[in-house]
Amino acid sequence: MTQVLETPLEPKAPPTPAERTAHRKALLEWIGIHSLGIAAALFFTLPFVFVFLTSLMSDSQALSRDLIPHTWEWDNYRRVFDTPGFLTWWRNTLFYAFLGTALTVISSIPVAYALAKFRFRGRNLALMLVISMMMLPPQVVIIPMYLFWAKQLDLSGSLWPLIIPMAFGDAFSIFLLRQFLTTIPDEYVDAAKVDGCGDVRTLLKVVLPMARPGIAAVALFQFFYAWNDYFGPQIYASENPGAWTLSYGLESFKGAHHTDWNLTMAATVLVMAPVILVFFFAQKAFVEGVTLTGVKG
Amino acid sequence: MSTYTLRAKHRRSTLRTLAFLSPWLIGFTVFFAYPLVSTVYFSFMRYDGFKPPVWSGTKNWTYVFEHYPLFWPALRNTLWLVVIMVTLRVAFGLGVGLLITKIKTATGVFRTLFYLPYLAPPVAATMAFAFLLNPGTGPVNSILQKTGLPAPGWFNDPAWSKPALTLLALWGIGDLMVIFMAALLDVPKEQYEAAELDGATPWQRFRYVTLPNISPIVMFAVVTGVIQTMQYYTQPLIAGKVASGVIQGAGTQFEPGYPDKSTLTLPQLVYNLGFQRFDYGSACVVALVLFALSMAFTALLMRRRGGLIQAGER
Amino acid sequence: MPGMYRNATLALAASASLALLATACTGQSGAGASDDASKETTINFWHAWSAPSEVKAVQDLVAGFEKAHPNIHVDVVGNMTDDKMNQALRTGGAKAPDVISSFTTNSVGKFCSSGALVNLNPFFEKSGIDPRKTFPKAMNEYTQFEGNRCAVPLLGDAYGLYYNKTAFKKAGITAPPKTWSEFERVAEKLTIPQGGTYKQLGFMPNYHGWETTTEHYLGQFSPTYFDKDGKSNVGTDPAFEKAFKLQKKLVDALGGYRKLETYRAGLGDEWGPKHPFHTGQVAMQLDGEWRLGMALDTKPTFDIGVAPLPVPDDQADQYGKGYITGTITGIAATSKKQNAAWELVKYMTTDTDAVVNFSNAIHNVPSTLAALKSPKLKYDPRFKTFLEIAANPDSTTAPASVNGGVYLTTIQEFGYAYESGKATDLKAGLKKTAAQIDTDIAQAK
Repeated sequence: MTQVLETPLEPKAPPTPAERTAHRKALLEWIGIHSLGIAAALFFTLPFVFVFLTSLMSDSQALSRDLIPHTWEWDNYRRVFDTPGFLTWWRNTLFYAFLGTALTVISSIPVAYALAKFRFRGRNLALMLVISMMMLPPQVVIIPMYLFWAKQLDLSGSLWPLIIPMAFGDAFSIFLLRQFLTTIPDEYVDAAKVDGCGDVRTLLKVVLPMARPGIAAVALFQFFYAWNDYFGPQIYASENPGAWTLSYGLESFKGAHHTDWNLTMAATVLVMAPVILVFFFAQKAFVEGVTLTGVKG
Repeated sequence: MSTYTLRAKHRRSTLRTLAFLSPWLIGFTVFFAYPLVSTVYFSFMRYDGFKPPVWSGTKNWTYVFEHYPLFWPALRNTLWLVVIMVTLRVAFGLGVGLLITKIKTATGVFRTLFYLPYLAPPVAATMAFAFLLNPGTGPVNSILQKTGLPAPGWFNDPAWSKPALTLLALWGIGDLMVIFMAALLDVPKEQYEAAELDGATPWQRFRYVTLPNISPIVMFAVVTGVIQTMQYYTQPLIAGKVASGVIQGAGTQFEPGYPDKSTLTLPQLVYNLGFQRFDYGSACVVALVLFALSMAFTALLMRRRGGLIQAGER
Repeated sequence: MPGMYRNATLALAASASLALLATACTGQSGAGASDDASKETTINFWHAWSAPSEVKAVQDLVAGFEKAHPNIHVDVVGNMTDDKMNQALRTGGAKAPDVISSFTTNSVGKFCSSGALVNLNPFFEKSGIDPRKTFPKAMNEYTQFEGNRCAVPLLGDAYGLYYNKTAFKKAGITAPPKTWSEFERVAEKLTIPQGGTYKQLGFMPNYHGWETTTEHYLGQFSPTYFDKDGKSNVGTDPAFEKAFKLQKKLVDALGGYRKLETYRAGLGDEWGPKHPFHTGQVAMQLDGEWRLGMALDTKPTFDIGVAPLPVPDDQADQYGKGYITGTITGIAATSKKQNAAWELVKYMTTDTDAVVNFSNAIHNVPSTLAALKSPKLKYDPRFKTFLEIAANPDSTTAPASVNGGVYLTTIQEFGYAYESGKATDLKAGLKKTAAQIDTDIAQAK
């Protein structure tokens, strides 16, 4: 397919009619595919563009039908930050995302390692249970869990009911890590054992350094999960605005700013931006992670 | 080695396994097994959070299946989403995956652009779409009207709200695109060359070479898509809330599923029954229906692709 | 008699265990609350107001209380929906509210019957206040359920008609419509189409049009929601059919459901400055008394007129009535500071100056007889219409029910189906709605 690219560029001796049709066909294919690509790119990017443009409109223009801002109101972003609570939501989200991710990674690694490298009875059963947990909608167990956290432990109105469980392994992370760890040849593990390393040291010194991409992928997924989570904060934190996260607060932002779509869209941009920035820094690990869930599965 | 040391070694290895598994074992018990059993228990109880739970037999079950006005609409919506949204997502994901393998200029740029929407946080993405698709003032309808095309009511019209959600789901196709892209690149080149020598048309090449090679991935995408649909919560909820315009809700009872129950999904019912009507028992009934459906498809996934487990057994 | 003796013991045992269960689950209740209201303490107060001017009014109200009771500090949390309050009332705990205030009377039945809010009668007695002599009759009634007073009125709401006088003049209309048939003509006359949408809409009849909910329309038809046995009357009382028909007629006359809904989606929010009545996009609005102050705050370019809502043609003699409801407040059963909480509730709801000032600030109807007569009550002359609606003996409200406002939601749900044309058989639909309400209430018991 590489010749497709070169075709229109290289002038050659007068081509035969057959060659010419082949060239024309290849050229048409190149044009066709790239037009499709551009059309698709527009579909994927225009929503971002419109959101961004609206975020810079004046209040009076935001409900009109014009697409381009008449005046560029960068001040909207400052106004978003001035919204009572917005900075708190940021802080809470970062807290939830970072602490949750750290706890998930730390607690999931040993489990994933055991499931990938240890031979024991019930291993397949355990793995099946992990997958079942992974596929379980959080709403299934929410009633008893809510009563447990709110009534027994008086932790509603905070993010702890969401963070604490992450210290006990997250099914998706365990599964993903286990998939990754199985790709590390047993010989490395055995060699470490021969050198006299115990299980913990083998895991720390030999396996973990090799599993770094897998861990990075897990950490990213978990970070995004916490960042995006709406149901969790809605159940546990809704009653205390001091514990809201960005994803939860954004919706109420619409309420506080009424139909000021410009401000709502500016807030939307501010919620999207960090995720996209993280992606640019960790693109490779992320794409690998996605592939791991599907292909290696 | 004596049997004694063997047994000791065995015990030690069991202990070691247990130690490594311990975080998950605790998590499994406290956050999965116990609440699941408890959910079953509450589904037979009349419990409103104030008075102590009272045994009520199958009353909650009868109520949910026969009298709860939101149950069947939610199930019908789920079916619609499974049939149409999941199918379109898989087809579109495959299409975009194919396209990206064919694009030879600025591939990285295209790939990133195609992938980005998948990362947009669901609440933000849904709010953005609610704005874009606002039937009165949104840019999409402005453009449609300028070009003389019909401008649908999108999230404000029961007939268009699910298509609008589908559009949102197609926008965030990045995950499937990457999976399909990887699978497509794994198809052995020789098979294409052989097909080309036989004079196969591009369609025939796709039908007889590509598809058989990637069919397990298609299957995977379909089943995980169905399972995700069971969990579909944030997007329909936010879309309904923003479009109904009664987002504030102080004083007004929040009405789930705007417009006309067309965006209701089962998880929303758990919330409606459990955290708005405070009928914990009936909420648990819906939760168990959700559980049964999710597990049925998970079983399908594990059976059809024993690979999920055996991949590591190689 | 031995038999009688046994029954009495049984009854005693049963009531004792009930009492035990009740205390176990809802905490201390009644005026036996043990906290000392004269000690340094902090209580949580949750309310539903969200507009900046209203939030400030609440802060001022609370500041007045803290000045009068320097030992009691109040943590105020605003913008709380009934759902969130309901959730917190169930779990209690340190962050849960001691005092709550809800915009509607919808949840009173649920709050009282479940014991979520404590019965305030003992507190009233202890303080030597007679609620019957303190609050207007209707307000006194909607804060109780089956003899249990678990709520107190905290200002009241009356619904009327707002109209754009300037638009009326332009259309050659001299007086606000008094009957629904007049209303329909006026609304059509005021509607100025523009392309596929409107330059000015006479009235937004859709049930999602902010305050044009089913119960507010219904209020003008004086319906009986429940019969003597507590069964829903929706399928039998002709008032329901009439109200649904009227709204549907308005929807069809003004452009049809879809067109109106599309227009509505592009309009401003109910609580924001760009409310379509403020901007002149909608010429008439069914709304509560607070709209006047909110509209005046945005300095509209037209004159605002206020009148009672129209009545059905055959009830023309009752013109002047309206739907009334109000904000309520109460003390959480889970609160461990009920005496301190009572001080706040007492101040907010019965201190004449506090009630008057709060009413002046948020433009709601005062909720005590003394405040209604207070010379300090400042209001626009137009506001008087709402005071009259509130005092009108024909004015109506929606009754309390054990499962809160679920029955209103059910009626509303049918309204959505009927206005959009999805449900066409009105009689059958109302019968089904009634059956649904009955099963929901049975399920909630």
